[in-house]
Amino acid sequence: MANAQYQRNLLNESGAEMLSLCTSQLEKAKDAFLNHDCDLAEEVVLNEVRVNALDLRIEKSCEKFLALYNPVAIDLRFIMAIRKINFDLERIADHAYSISKYVIEVDEKIPPHLFEALQFQTMYDTIVKMLEKITEAYENKDVKVARKVFKKDKILDRINAESFSVLEAEIKKDNNIISEALLLFSVIKKMERVGDLIKNIAEEIIFYIDAEVLKHKKKK
Amino acid sequence: MNSLQRNRIYDQIFKFWGIGCTLFGLVLLAVFIGDILIDGIMRIDWDFITDLPSRKAEKAGIYTALMGSIWILILTTFIAFPVGVAAGVYLEEYGGKNKFSALLEINISNLAGVPSIIYGLLGLEVFVRIMGLGASVLAGSLTLSLLILPIIIVATREAIKAVPKSIKDASYALGASKWQTIWNQVLPASSGGILTGVILALSRAVGETAPLIVVGALAYVPFAPESPMDEFSVLPIQIFNWISRPQHGFIENAAAAIIILLLITFVMNGIAVYFRNKWQKKLK
Amino acid sequence: MAKEIKIIMKKISTQVPLDKIIDPSLKKKAKIEVKDVKVWYENFNAIKGIDMNIKPNTVTAFIGPSGCGKSTFLRLFNRMNDYVEGFKMEGKIKISGNNIYKKNINVEELRKEIGMVFQKPNPFPKSIFDNISYGLKIQGITDKKLIEERVIDCLKQVALWDEVKDDLKKSAMALSGGQQQRLCIARTLAVQPSIILMDEPTSALDPISTAKIEELIFKLKEKYTIVIVTHNMQQASRISDYTAFFYLGELIEYDKTKTIFTNPEKQQTENYITGRFG
Repeated sequence: MANAQYQRNLLNESGAEMLSLCTSQLEKAKDAFLNHDCDLAEEVVLNEVRVNALDLRIEKSCEKFLALYNPVAIDLRFIMAIRKINFDLERIADHAYSISKYVIEVDEKIPPHLFEALQFQTMYDTIVKMLEKITEAYENKDVKVARKVFKKDKILDRINAESFSVLEAEIKKDNNIISEALLLFSVIKKMERVGDLIKNIAEEIIFYIDAEVLKHKKKK
Repeated sequence: MNSLQRNRIYDQIFKFWGIGCTLFGLVLLAVFIGDILIDGIMRIDWDFITDLPSRKAEKAGIYTALMGSIWILILTTFIAFPVGVAAGVYLEEYGGKNKFSALLEINISNLAGVPSIIYGLLGLEVFVRIMGLGASVLAGSLTLSLLILPIIIVATREAIKAVPKSIKDASYALGASKWQTIWNQVLPASSGGILTGVILALSRAVGETAPLIVVGALAYVPFAPESPMDEFSVLPIQIFNWISRPQHGFIENAAAAIIILLLITFVMNGIAVYFRNKWQKKLK
Repeated sequence: MAKEIKIIMKKISTQVPLDKIIDPSLKKKAKIEVKDVKVWYENFNAIKGIDMNIKPNTVTAFIGPSGCGKSTFLRLFNRMNDYVEGFKMEGKIKISGNNIYKKNINVEELRKEIGMVFQKPNPFPKSIFDNISYGLKIQGITDKKLIEERVIDCLKQVALWDEVKDDLKKSAMALSGGQQQRLCIARTLAVQPSIILMDEPTSALDPISTAKIEELIFKLKEKYTIVIVTHNMQQASRISDYTAFFYLGELIEYDKTKTIFTNPEKQQTENYITGRFG
């Protein structure tokens, strides 16, 4: 089974490559947004091509693997999982892309007190931690680490839920910041969605390793 | 009664019929051997084997006949073995599947059934008279070789046919020529079967009487052959000669000689069976 | 002989990497070109005009239903069909540029360049050592040292060395089916061909032996060009680079395996590999 194993390992590496690529895209986008760094934002926009190319390559590899090697058990779950993980990662990269586009198109720096009010830094740190965790879980095939992501996501949900009223209050204080506030609002929504996508990826990793389906179930 | 019971009964009937037929042959053989042993075993001693024939029964021995038989056996082997095996190999490996080959095959099988005395007549005319060999051991061996040649050819062909085609395919696929394949694979693999056939053919030759009488083997020979051109006698002829004498002593001699002849035949057949078993095991 | 083998075994007591043993100049570039080839057995037209080019150092699989001519076609390359009654062929087959059906071709030389492994393992009823050295013996090679080294080398290439190194004089018939087939492959490798033909090499073997041989084929690809007939489509998809689909004596499609199994051009091909017809 040398050939199949070899191809399987290649696919595994492609998955890791996609993980690291999308992680770096997101981090750059958040940094660009936080510091209103247009150059960094440009980088993210240009890199989107690479993300799309890698996405297509992984899709094709999965198709080829299924056609040629008839995988079963853990190999089959791996292929099924990696396609979904790939899809989710691509959407995370898409969010990074649109956040970067905001930075470039909207030339207004967001006042720091708004970031503080909305606990933007906390969201940022949480997402960074979550990405670290699933990267670790993917590389080490560690289910326990993957599960840690679910709790962290609750932080993001909470911040997101509070964001509406917080922003409402801030706008009432100062009408001039409406456009920045709206921009920040939509970015926070995006980050919440990124958190959900990372959660999906964790579910897929648990499915692939443990054959446990966590979709539509209450997670602890 | 239903068909299941009927079948069982037929089964049993056939079984007992088979046992009966087998026993019939075995019992007859046992009776024959027993009778001979009773008549002749006392007579066998070293003198019997080394004495020359004589008109007095007590002094008569089988020495010359035994030596003659052994000479005939060895010479026939040297002539018939290579010729027969080579012919068998040629016909099986090189012969085409045309009408001529089919004709050849039929004729060789026919030759195996020709009465042995006909071979004697042929030998007399060709070897003794035309080739001028006289009534010698050589002429007798050549005649017997002709007789057993078809048997050896058929046995060789059967043994070669039994070698799986896959062995030959493998040899050809490695770049061996036809001859290399035959010499290195086919012959070694069929050697057991060929040997079995040759030994059985030879053990028949040892017992042949009629053709040798025609060729001119004598009944009274006071010396053992010392060269292929010498005159000779063989055990079966000696036995035949003694049986036609009236004295009772010669009957005993004949029985004893028969025992010796049987011993030779049994030993040769035993060797043939040994080789056949070894051969079958190797091919598995 | 036994003592000499023991001495050599002592020398090579640790597992020496394959690359150190195999002469790199063995890597030959043998390509096969087939032009408009037709085959008849008496009046039966078995192959109806096929063109094909096989690249060196690839594994090509021939697939198709029973009786479609794939074995016949395979045997054209080493002229094993010559022994079949009524065989007639038209067209050109060039191996490394030489037409192998020319009048003055030395068939024995051809078969040293092109080895064949058969469906049912067919070791000679001789010892393991004699089986592998046979190919060298018939070439007239008598250098004992060379023969022993070649035998050991080939046994290592097919991953049989560890299993039989204790007694090379043992009869080959005492080995298991999978071991016998690997022995047959070693026997073929001993004459250092550039092309290896395999006619359903694993169809008589159990799954584990099959897996071992597939792994071996994958390794051999580096040094040899391999053409394998198989009735097992999954095997074709697992191990081959190119696949040719035959049906009723015609070549329906010949393409990269990847393409054949994800998006074949001809509907017939797709019907066959999806199992929609036999």
